[in-house]
Amino acid sequence: MLSDKVLDNLPQEVRRRVEPYVEAVQLMTQTSNAKVLRSMAPSGIRGLILQRGKQGVPTKMPSHHRVYFDWTYPNDHPDMRELYTRAKEQQWNGDDLPWHIDVDPENTEKPIMPRQFMAFDDLRDRGIRLTDLEERRLNSSVASWMLSQFLHGEQGALFAAAQVTEAVQFFDGKLYGSTQVVDEGRHVEVFHRYLDTKLNKLYQINDNLFVIIDALIQDSRWDVKFLGMQIMVEGLALGAFGTLYQMTKEPLLKELLRMVIQDEARHVHYGVLALRDHFRHELSDSERREREDWAFEVALLMRNRFLSFEVYEEWFEHKLTRKEWAEFVTNSPGFAVFRQVMFKRLVPNLREIGLLSDRIKPHYDRAGLMKYFDGQSARELSGDQMIAELDAA
Amino acid sequence: MVGKRQARVGRFDVAAALAARALPGAMTPLIEQARLDAKMILERASGRAPSPLIGEQAEPAPLREVDLLSILPRAFVEKLRSAERDVRMLTGRLILGKNPSPLIERSRPAAGAVVSLPRKTPAMTRPLKVTDVIRETDDAVSIYLTEADGSALEFRPGQFLSVDVIIDGERCRRAYSLASACMAGTPRHITVKRIANGRVSNHLNDTIRVGDELAVLGPSGNFTVEPRPVNERHLVMIAGGSGITPIMSILETILRLEDRSRVTLIYGNRSWKDVIFRDRLAALRDEVGDRLIVDHVLEHAPEDWSGGRGLLTRDVLEGRLDALGIQDDGLQRYFLCGPTPMMQAAHEALQARGVAANRVAEERFTRPEEREGAKGSSEAELVMISRCGHEHGIQVEPGQTILEAALAAGIDMPFSCAMGGCGACRVRLTSGDVRMEEPNCLSRAELEQRYVLTCVGRPHAQSSILVEGA
Ligand code: FES
Ligand SMILES: [Fe+2]
Ligand SMILES: [Fe+2]
Repeated sequence: MLSDKVLDNLPQEVRRRVEPYVEAVQLMTQTSNAKVLRSMAPSGIRGLILQRGKQGVPTKMPSHHRVYFDWTYPNDHPDMRELYTRAKEQQWNGDDLPWHIDVDPENTEKPIMPRQFMAFDDLRDRGIRLTDLEERRLNSSVASWMLSQFLHGEQGALFAAAQVTEAVQFFDGKLYGSTQVVDEGRHVEVFHRYLDTKLNKLYQINDNLFVIIDALIQDSRWDVKFLGMQIMVEGLALGAFGTLYQMTKEPLLKELLRMVIQDEARHVHYGVLALRDHFRHELSDSERREREDWAFEVALLMRNRFLSFEVYEEWFEHKLTRKEWAEFVTNSPGFAVFRQVMFKRLVPNLREIGLLSDRIKPHYDRAGLMKYFDGQSARELSGDQMIAELDAA
Repeated sequence: MVGKRQARVGRFDVAAALAARALPGAMTPLIEQARLDAKMILERASGRAPSPLIGEQAEPAPLREVDLLSILPRAFVEKLRSAERDVRMLTGRLILGKNPSPLIERSRPAAGAVVSLPRKTPAMTRPLKVTDVIRETDDAVSIYLTEADGSALEFRPGQFLSVDVIIDGERCRRAYSLASACMAGTPRHITVKRIANGRVSNHLNDTIRVGDELAVLGPSGNFTVEPRPVNERHLVMIAGGSGITPIMSILETILRLEDRSRVTLIYGNRSWKDVIFRDRLAALRDEVGDRLIVDHVLEHAPEDWSGGRGLLTRDVLEGRLDALGIQDDGLQRYFLCGPTPMMQAAHEALQARGVAANRVAEERFTRPEEREGAKGSSEAELVMISRCGHEHGIQVEPGQTILEAALAAGIDMPFSCAMGGCGACRVRLTSGDVRMEEPNCLSRAELEQRYVLTCVGRPHAQSSILVEGA
């Protein structure tokens, strides 16, 4: 790509300054669907260029959806009603997690993430030698970074769940949605408490995550909010939670994730229920195509861009280029597992809601994601099953 | 400017501030005066007279602090500020080469003042399953227990469980010793004797059933022995009433695991029918022969009773020790458990015979009615806990113990019985004032070294404690 060549010829210091912008522009020019570009570009600018999430002040996002009232209180969606009942029964209290457990992020016996999560050899090949202690610290930085992103994602989920509850037109869905709001509030509570009292390190929101949250919070269309939050971000969350759940040896975090995953499984299930019929029957072809492209772009964003750049800025800004860092992270074993778990959950759900038509399949294929096509969707998979599957792996 | 309101910034203030910035500094006082004058005239004209009271007037914002944007519409100003931040972000990165910090920095309270807000105390107890209930005497019942998953309870002979019972909505915690021999395959049980007006002991005697759950902590306590088959020793034990329970566990464990050790037990009771484990002791005696000598002493003995009579007072005890021909050989170990006067008498009798205090072990069970509750402060108090080199401040609410508050704050504190009986929660008080329920298991020496028990300790002032060896 042209801009890559230009970048390579720039002096190191100049490159460091412009690289993030070049990346942002590349990202936007790769989007082929003009409608998608139009709806995502403002978010892209706010997140990637202006870095609104990192300005150190609260971010105020306008939202343009309509609040849907129904004064007849219909029983309109038995599956959602059922999900509502289950959600009520499965409520839990964040205080009941084993908070007394002492967490030492640098403990080698009960590491938060296994040593092999990052490929340190790869770093060595790039001329960076870390001492044993530094490797452990880097590892724990990445763990803090991941958990910080979970926390920011949960904040997004909290508000998105509230919006979606307002906007959805099924009354049973609204009732269910109220439990999801509580769930997400609890997730914010427990992740924050973990980061605040156990790890003592909180990273800023990743620019790409900001873009996704910004896009779906500001979008006026309820189904795009749904798609963004319940399918994409929740899918990302499930992938990330599942990976960490599988890998961590830290008992408090493991228990925390086990509880959170069971909630999230319901959330994705709800998304699938709400969107399946809507996408199949209510949307015009071009509208459906737009959603399909939107989902694909977001999937790529999550696959390619969720790469701990904040850790890079803290540790290696003057030693590696962003591109080198991106390669290093992309190739590290931990992130490979993470991508796999994430798409294993996400792709079958996209299929289920009808956003994997023959038109888009080749794109997914090229991105290496079609192998997940036949997996079980959230509708067919309960939280318990998910945990059992992770435990067995 | 404590106590003074600052006046709203108006058009005049902004005009004056603009002028002050544009004109030479020498003009500033003039402009300042003009501003105040103009304001006064304007306010008068609009019917608002200045307040007649001194100190009531709102203070005008100092000229150099007047925000020039403040007369613009709020929404517009917000947009402007946001744009300002955007530009700063861009120029920072592109021109100055400065990224925003990847970490979120929040102002932290000064070191050592991290204060956790009080939260719900996590449950400290765990449920055990009641697998059998056996009546030992008219007013004593043995309750057989396993862990909730059916596995055997781990304990050392002589240790006790803290049992929580909820009666009329109130949590009552009592200590009951495990009375079984500590051997694989032997079912574990506690034995509960009715105490006159004892809420928990009567409740358990009346209501406990197979299949119930019992909430417990522990086992805890250091009134114990380490059985070793090679040992050949003589243990002398003195028990009164239900004080037999830990003694029974120790003596049976020792007799069964140490083939050459022997035990002499002086055991006082009110009457023959009150003797807990009467048959079990007799059976054990048949089994091990001379290695076990049981000397029953009865307060109300039948006519034909040939054994000891009376309460276990010093005189009676000395008489029994003589009658049993027990000479202290400088090696024997003594185990005491019973009512306080009996323990006192036993200590005196043994001391008179020249037995060194370190060979006498005792277990004190105080009747809850005798315990003196230590009321904490009536306000929440700050307690600083240092542990593993970290300092953590917690808020202890009135009614909470330090242990409860610390656990609620997620701090890993040592404890076992949570009723002042085992010493596991001992910490050193480095400053402040902590009061404890009495009596508790701390020795006088420990008290002098400013040790406190967090499980029964409540702060009376801001205090600091040190968790040792963590
Ligand atoms: S925990 Fe046993 S004395 Fe405090
Ligand atoms: Fe969540
Ligand atoms: Fe969720």
